[in-house]
Amino acid sequence: MEIDWGLFGELFVRTFSFWWVILPAILLGLIVGAIPGFSAANTIIILLPMTLAMEPEIGLIFMVALYASSRMGAGIPAILVNIPGTAGAAATPLDGYPMTKQGRAQQALAISFVASVFGGLLTTLIALVAMPWLSQVAYHLHSVEMIVIMLFGISLIATIAAKDTLKGLIAGFFGLMIGYIGADVVYETPRGTFGFLELYDKVPLIPALVGLFAVSEAFAVIEGESILTKRGMAAMQKAGWKETWEGVTLAISRWWHIIWTSIIGLIIGIVPGAGAAIASFVAYQQSKTFSKTPELYGTGHLDGLVAPESANNGVTSGTLIPLLVIGVPGGATAAIMAVVLQYHGVTVGPDLFENQPELAFGAFTAMAVTYAIMILTVLPLARYMSRITVVSTVYMAPIIISFTLVGSFVPRAYVFDMYLALAFGVIGYVARKTGYHVAAILIGVILGPLLENYFLRALRISEGDILVIFSSGLGNILWVLLIVSLFVPMYLDKRRTRQREQAVPTTTDC
Amino acid sequence: MSDYENDFSRRLFLKGAGATAGAGALSMLPIQMAFAAAFPERNIQVFVPTRAGGGADRNLRAFTGVWKNYLKQNFEAGFYPGAAGRVGYETYMGKAKADCYNLIFGNMGPEVLNWVVKKPTFPLDSYFYFAQVDADPACVFVSSKSKFKHIDDIIAEGKKRTLTVGTSRLAHPASLGALVLAQKTGAKFNLIPLSGGRNTRGGVTTGEVDFGVLPASSVLRKKIKVLALFDDTNPLPKRMPDAVLTNDHFKLGLPPLIAGARAFGIKKEAVEKHPDRFKVLTDTLQKVYTDPAYKKAVVKTKAPWEFIKYGNVEDCAKYVKYVTDLGQEYRTLLTGKK
Repeated sequence: MEIDWGLFGELFVRTFSFWWVILPAILLGLIVGAIPGFSAANTIIILLPMTLAMEPEIGLIFMVALYASSRMGAGIPAILVNIPGTAGAAATPLDGYPMTKQGRAQQALAISFVASVFGGLLTTLIALVAMPWLSQVAYHLHSVEMIVIMLFGISLIATIAAKDTLKGLIAGFFGLMIGYIGADVVYETPRGTFGFLELYDKVPLIPALVGLFAVSEAFAVIEGESILTKRGMAAMQKAGWKETWEGVTLAISRWWHIIWTSIIGLIIGIVPGAGAAIASFVAYQQSKTFSKTPELYGTGHLDGLVAPESANNGVTSGTLIPLLVIGVPGGATAAIMAVVLQYHGVTVGPDLFENQPELAFGAFTAMAVTYAIMILTVLPLARYMSRITVVSTVYMAPIIISFTLVGSFVPRAYVFDMYLALAFGVIGYVARKTGYHVAAILIGVILGPLLENYFLRALRISEGDILVIFSSGLGNILWVLLIVSLFVPMYLDKRRTRQREQAVPTTTDC
Repeated sequence: MSDYENDFSRRLFLKGAGATAGAGALSMLPIQMAFAAAFPERNIQVFVPTRAGGGADRNLRAFTGVWKNYLKQNFEAGFYPGAAGRVGYETYMGKAKADCYNLIFGNMGPEVLNWVVKKPTFPLDSYFYFAQVDADPACVFVSSKSKFKHIDDIIAEGKKRTLTVGTSRLAHPASLGALVLAQKTGAKFNLIPLSGGRNTRGGVTTGEVDFGVLPASSVLRKKIKVLALFDDTNPLPKRMPDAVLTNDHFKLGLPPLIAGARAFGIKKEAVEKHPDRFKVLTDTLQKVYTDPAYKKAVVKTKAPWEFIKYGNVEDCAKYVKYVTDLGQEYRTLLTGKK
């Protein structure tokens, strides 16, 4: 696979000429991404008859644009009403929603859009030129290494628990226990399903996600008149175009943060079976670890919003790399795209670079062009989208519950999932009222089964030798980094506290 | 062997035989045939126990896209994934009306092995398969970068150390193929379930496992080499030039081990209540296999036409019994229970 700059240039120009495909795909992607339960993958399946009628190149551009924009769309309800559109946006409301409550929804949306677009654009361009080398990541990140990567994400529970250790850990372990419901990955023995067939395949993520975040939020907001604080309402009523511009400049000022968190997303996206949820939690955890103000995370910290949004868009281009280089899709949407192209008679895999390079490289140029067009189309909408936060909770709560229940039903079409979302809503509401963090529960639900999957696989490969988790050089390096990332913040925190304590008497002396 | 296990095999055998007899008796029911003209009056619902967008979806679309022309009605697919097909079957058996308007489309091998591992809530003889659509043999495959160039290399290495074998899941005909091969050759294999064909290909290609076993059609890729087929012939010698036939090479003396055998199934009660409708279904679907439009639809999806194979009720019952018996033989390895 050689880099042909001339071909890339031609492809960019050619892809721009398909703006009439990209634009509606972006709008559709934003909508389906924002509705919990809908996703790029199931929308592509629903629209299969339409994409089959298109030329393969146009079909591919349409799917790629839909995929990239749905990733960004998922962050919009996460910020505005605490409803992540997909599991990949589950870390977004941790700091996005507190900003909304403070009346900074417009800024938050603008930051999210800029982080998503530049994170996505940057990783797409990196993927385009460094694909042969990046694809090697998949050869080195096996079960053992993935166990440690999962623990990076899960360790976020510990950092969330920092304010109230016992409650945080209880919430995290409760989430992990829920995550282990379902058939085990080796012998497919059902555990903790209470006889419900619908739980054999693990607790479905969307009902858990919308229940814990959205339904419980709806129950909570109905107690007040608005989701905004009084100051937040006042700020929203004065808000104009200035706030959008402020969001853009604030995001751009965090350019380095966007770069490294999006690269985390890109690398995790390359690993087949990993995904945006892992990437966004790991990026958030790392962002907090290296922050000078970690105590402000969860209260509307800008870096806490930038990290998950740029990481989950970094995943988007990452998932296409193993698909194109080794023929193994990195995620569900990439797999569906491969199937659709197969209907067109196009076999996606390494052959594509030789047989139809315009399609293989075109997937990335389409993604890059989508991001470029997306920023221009979506940014002006931030002002209008943010107005939803001033709607009275009398209307907001029932709308949230209705939308989320429909969203819970969509992925599997089981009525059971709607009840499950309500059950998680009650759990989330009780957790909020009693000071347990719903995000800690959710991290357990999302990452617990993945950790178990990789752990059991590693144990099976080693024939039950627990020391397998230290058997890989790269894995051991990751273990060291994990320990460092857990203990360095504790050390820094103690040092800062000591410095503050030393500073206080000095001031008094003066 | 438990009572359940005895009952299991016998029931499966009787199921096929009973259904065949029922279908044969249809020719003696001329009066009921008069009603057949009215069937179907509405769309046919197909329950699919896997996710939308996968191999079954592709296969079903190609088949029903032609079948609808003969039935003069459309098909509506409903996807019920989960627990390796168990959710789909339980939903079909629990909710679908026994009226011949509701069918199930599954992969017989892995799905009947489910019942070996854990009995379903419905009686096993309450449904049967009546039309096999394809016959995709199990194969042994490696990455093109692998040091194993021939199946003998794998066996030789497997006699020195335990090799890891990626498979979609333990209760799968391809896994049974690996277990049979290990038993007959004395090699030591450790089956690693990697949750689906995509992840299994990934595990083999990225070197997490030594080699893999899957249906052959799912590994016809550039960076993958097929080293052995559990079949009596190599249907694609040009695309799988390195594949040896395990039966010939190791004298296994087994019938072909088909890992991908997708088929339409139906409730037995539906056929008993509406034999005329069932006859319409079987008569019309047989025309699909010889219709050039079907070949065109299959070829368009890049699926190998060579794997398309019709199997009637008897063929399906025979295959189900074979896979089930083999599954019973290796039940302890599939379930981890002594």
